Amino acid sequence: MDFDEAGKSLSLEKDEYIELVEFFFPAAEIDINKLMTANEKGDTELASDAAHSLKGAAGNLGFMELSDLARSIEERARNAQVTGLSLKIKELKDKIAIIEEAFEKHKNS
Amino acid sequence: MTVEERFCILAVDDNPLNLKLIQTALSKEGYRIITASNGPDAREIAADEIPDLILLDIRMPGEDGFDVIKQLKNDSITNSIPVIFLSGVSEIDAKLTGFELGAVDYIIKPFHPLEVLARVQLHLKLSIATNSLISTQANKLKQITKVHTSMLTTPEMQPDAHFGVYYLSLQEAGGDFYDVLPISKDIYGYFVADLSGHDISTGFLTSSLKALLRQNCSPIYQPLESIKMINDVLVEILPEDKYLTVCYSRLNRKTNQMTIINAGHPPVAYVPVKGDPRLIEMDGDIIGIFKEVLFGQYTLKVSPGDRFYIYSDGLIESPKERLLWTAGKDKILPACEEFRDVPVTDAPEKIKTCICNGNEELQDDIVVLGIQV
Repeated sequence: MDFDEAGKSLSLEKDEYIELVEFFFPAAEIDINKLMTANEKGDTELASDAAHSLKGAAGNLGFMELSDLARSIEERARNAQVTGLSLKIKELKDKIAIIEEAFEKHKNS
Repeated sequence: MTVEERFCILAVDDNPLNLKLIQTALSKEGYRIITASNGPDAREIAADEIPDLILLDIRMPGEDGFDVIKQLKNDSITNSIPVIFLSGVSEIDAKLTGFELGAVDYIIKPFHPLEVLARVQLHLKLSIATNSLISTQANKLKQITKVHTSMLTTPEMQPDAHFGVYYLSLQEAGGDFYDVLPISKDIYGYFVADLSGHDISTGFLTSSLKALLRQNCSPIYQPLESIKMINDVLVEILPEDKYLTVCYSRLNRKTNQMTIINAGHPPVAYVPVKGDPRLIEMDGDIIGIFKEVLFGQYTLKVSPGDRFYIYSDGLIESPKERLLWTAGKDKILPACEEFRDVPVTDAPEKIKTCICNGNEELQDDIVVLGIQV
C-alpha cells in the first residue's frame, strides 16, 4: 500500500492524508463492532448499514480492496445471505489490521 | 466576516471520516464547514446557521437524507438552501428521488475531494446567479413607467391552450389578472392572480406580472420554482400595502399531468370526465410580502376532457350577503357540474352568471378561467 501515492491521488498534502487515515481506524473499528454485533443477532439491516459506512469511508481514502469487500458484505446482508458472513467479516477485520500495520511502518519510516 | 468565512457549507454524514475528509478538502479552499452526524441535528443546524449549501448523505440511521431534505424544503427558513446528495447508493431510482425532492446535484461515494469542491463551487455560482437574476429583474421592472393595457390573452389567440375565460374589471386598472403561457409544445401554464386594491398602481403591477411570467415560467423551472422566483421579485418591487393571491397551474397534455400551485388563492374546481366535481384545497402563503414563503402544491393525473376552473374570490364572495369565499366556495361545484357539457370557451361566463344570479352590484373584479385537458 503506497500511502504517499494514495494521498497524492486525492490531492491531499501528506500530513492531511496521515491525519485522515489516523481518523479512519477508530471509525472503522466502530463499524466492525457494529457489524459483528449485527451478525451475532442476525440483524441484517444493521449489518448492511455498518458495511455501507465502512465501504464509503475506505473508498474515500483509496482503500479500494477494503471498500470492495465491505460492499460485498453490504450486498449479502441486504439480501439476507447470512451464510459465510462471519468469514467475510473476519477477512475485513484482517485487512484493516494489515493496513494499520503498514500505516504504522509508513509513519515511522 | 472574514473572506475565509464567506461561504458556509453544512456537511451531513454519519461516518466521521467522510465529514473529516470534506472538512479537510473544503476548509483549505476558504469555506467554513459545519457538520452534523444525523438528520435531526442537520435540520436544527441548517435552521440556525442558514448555510449557503448542504452536502447530505442519504443512508443514515434513523432519519435518512430523503427525510431530511423533505423537511428542509418544507421549512420556509431552509427551503432555498441548495442541497447536494453525497451517497454510496448509485441506483438511478435513488438519484431521481433525490432530484425530485429538490436536490441540485448528486455525488457518488467514494468521492474525490476535488469533485466535491468543483460541484460546490458550481452550485454556489448558480445560486448567486439566480439571486442576481432576481435583483436584476426587480430593478428592470422598477423602471417601467407606462401601464401596459390590452395584454390579456384570449382563447382565439391560443386555440391549442383549450381554455375559456370570463373577465370583469370594475375599473380600468383591474385587480384581477390572468394569463395563459405556452411553456412548450403540449405544455401550458394557466395563471390567475388577485392583486390587493384596484387603483392605477395595481394596473401597473399587472404589466410587471405579465413580464415576470414570461421570464420565469419556462420548461427549466418547476411550477413551484417559477412562483417562488416571482415572489422574490415582487417582494422587492411591491409597495408595502400590496400583495396578491395566485393560482398557477401547469398542464402537460403529453403526460396528462396537472400541477397546481396555490398562493393564498381560492381552491381550484376540478371536473373530471368521469366523476363528481371537487375542490382542490391547499394552504399557501400570499405573494409579495415575505421572502420566506411556502406555497401549496398538488399534482394529479388527468384524462382528456377533464376540466379545471381557476377563479378569483370576486366570483364567490358576496359583500351584500357578508359571504366570504371560504363559505361561498360551496356554490362553485354545482355550477361547474351544471355546465360540464357546455364548450369550455362558454362555460366560464355561464358559471359566473349562475353563481352571481343576476347581481348587478358586483363589488369586486371577477375572473373565471376554464381549462380543458
